[in-house]
Amino acid sequence: MAGKQDYYKMIHRKWIFIIICALLILVTLIFSLSIGMYDLSFFDCYRVLIEHLTGNITDPYADDIVVFTRLPIGVFAIIVGAVLALGGAVMQSMLRNPLADPYTMGVSSGALLGASIAIVLGNGIMPLFSDPWIKIVMAFGFSLIPVAVILMFSFKRRVTATKIILIGIAMMYIFSAVVQLLMITASEETLAEIYSWRVGTLALTTWDTIPIPLFISLVCGVVLFYHHRSINVMMAGPNSAHSMGVDPKRTILIEITIVSLMTAAVVCFTGTIGFVGLVGPHIARLFVGSESKHLLPASALFGGLFLLLANCVARVSGEYGLPVGVISAIIGCPLFIMILIRMRRKSAWK
Amino acid sequence: MRLVIDGIEFGYSSTPVLKDITLDANGPQLLSIIGPNGVGKSTLIHCINRILSPNKGTVMIDGETVNDISLKDLAKKVGYVPYSANDTFPLSVVDTVLMGRHPHATYKSLDKDLDIVYSTLRLLDIEDLAMRNFDELSAGQHQKVMLARGLVQEPEILLLDEPTSNLDIKHQMEVTRLLRDLSQEKNILVIMISHDLNIAAKYSDTMIMLHGGSIYAIGTPSEVITKENIKAVYDVESEVIESHGRPHLIMLDSDFDDVEHTLPADTYAVKEKR
Repeated sequence: MAGKQDYYKMIHRKWIFIIICALLILVTLIFSLSIGMYDLSFFDCYRVLIEHLTGNITDPYADDIVVFTRLPIGVFAIIVGAVLALGGAVMQSMLRNPLADPYTMGVSSGALLGASIAIVLGNGIMPLFSDPWIKIVMAFGFSLIPVAVILMFSFKRRVTATKIILIGIAMMYIFSAVVQLLMITASEETLAEIYSWRVGTLALTTWDTIPIPLFISLVCGVVLFYHHRSINVMMAGPNSAHSMGVDPKRTILIEITIVSLMTAAVVCFTGTIGFVGLVGPHIARLFVGSESKHLLPASALFGGLFLLLANCVARVSGEYGLPVGVISAIIGCPLFIMILIRMRRKSAWK
Repeated sequence: MRLVIDGIEFGYSSTPVLKDITLDANGPQLLSIIGPNGVGKSTLIHCINRILSPNKGTVMIDGETVNDISLKDLAKKVGYVPYSANDTFPLSVVDTVLMGRHPHATYKSLDKDLDIVYSTLRLLDIEDLAMRNFDELSAGQHQKVMLARGLVQEPEILLLDEPTSNLDIKHQMEVTRLLRDLSQEKNILVIMISHDLNIAAKYSDTMIMLHGGSIYAIGTPSEVITKENIKAVYDVESEVIESHGRPHLIMLDSDFDDVEHTLPADTYAVKEKR
């Protein structure tokens, strides 16, 4: 049947985009290892990696730089980008709002507030944890406050997409105001630390950073992909979703809890990295359309690829490199506008 | 299939919308719900597919209370075509219609689901639109795509909220005729809300006229569309003539009484029947 074959061809084209993104991530990851003060070529990095995997290390210094300094940053850039863009794709589709992303839920401003409190109050606030972990635990806890408020609200009142976005934005303003208040009272040293959290950075990443966010992201990502049909049906609106067998209230609460959890798991390590979660899914949508089965993996892979590239640029910018959050917005927004103007294909938005 | 509504009442806060609605609809037919704005037509169909839960009374499908049926199983029995489609992120026509297969879908069912989608698109004569984006279509094509999405649920009861709104006369007739034919071909009970009384009367098997949240009249189009009922429910003067065995409503307005003499002689045929 010609019609069905046309549809299958369209699906194949979407998977080709997804596979290209995956391959580009691998190539870019090795390329990213060659970027930095210590001069190494793409092939040197490839050789160092192979030597490390086979246990036949000929240059311990290069091995240390590539495997223990640059590789964890590259891997974490992929995880963070993938999580933010996947979260953005789910939020936008489910709430039927092109401006929704994990940050409009107040997740990142919650993380910033938690970290800021930890920075200002120091070790005394949580004696059980050592320095970096106090900030991480506080950031994680505070970033889940908005979703907790939405869940509490849902017991009393009817939850709608608009209410969720408004609650998230209100929480974002409250958190930002308290952070401003803390910054007014903070010393110069703590002010600098809060600032670095605010702009988002991957520079402090080590292999120890990765296991917890990777585990949480993988579990949440698999669950979200498993729910792709429900997320897709939610695009039809709550009444239509209900009539197609999806409970809209339950679905919204489950998915935003999962998105908040996985976003909290990464932003508590990196601080606020903007742009990827909002615009990453829109760029993926231009190539694979809005159908969730393909949009979710495409957004995740494109987000990972984009943040990896942004991190490469961030590391060679300025004398000591620039925060990746700044670079992702500076490069990403013009790129997005250019794609919007030049793309001559079916519309992905109304 | 048999739909039994037994004394349902529904209200928002202290404002009652539906009052003691009782109905027994059996077998394949096109049933139209008519009535003025805000009378509870959409609320009634939302109570049938459990989007809203009545404060009192029960809705039963084939002897089973809808509250006792899981949402997914209910979606296999009752399809719904909304008043307007949400297309913030427009999908292709195939993907839009494929959504309707959600209650039946499994991880291995795509090929079978696509067969059902394409055969429904063929039935509605819109197969050529299959790969187009939903937002590129005209209002009439939108309506047919939404109808296709409801049909691929393979429901026993199909609810439609003003399916002919925004359509020109030709498309209004085409869609309503299609609904009547589908009710017989697919053996389903089609319940539609309509504001066009003449088109509803022309094609419906049964009509329900709502007034003040209650059923004011129920029966064949000839029993429901009478000038007395129209006056009582819509507060509009009218004449009802018969056309091809169906009632046809003509609105009267006293503002135009003085222009009668300017109309051609055969225009008075209707008035002379008074």
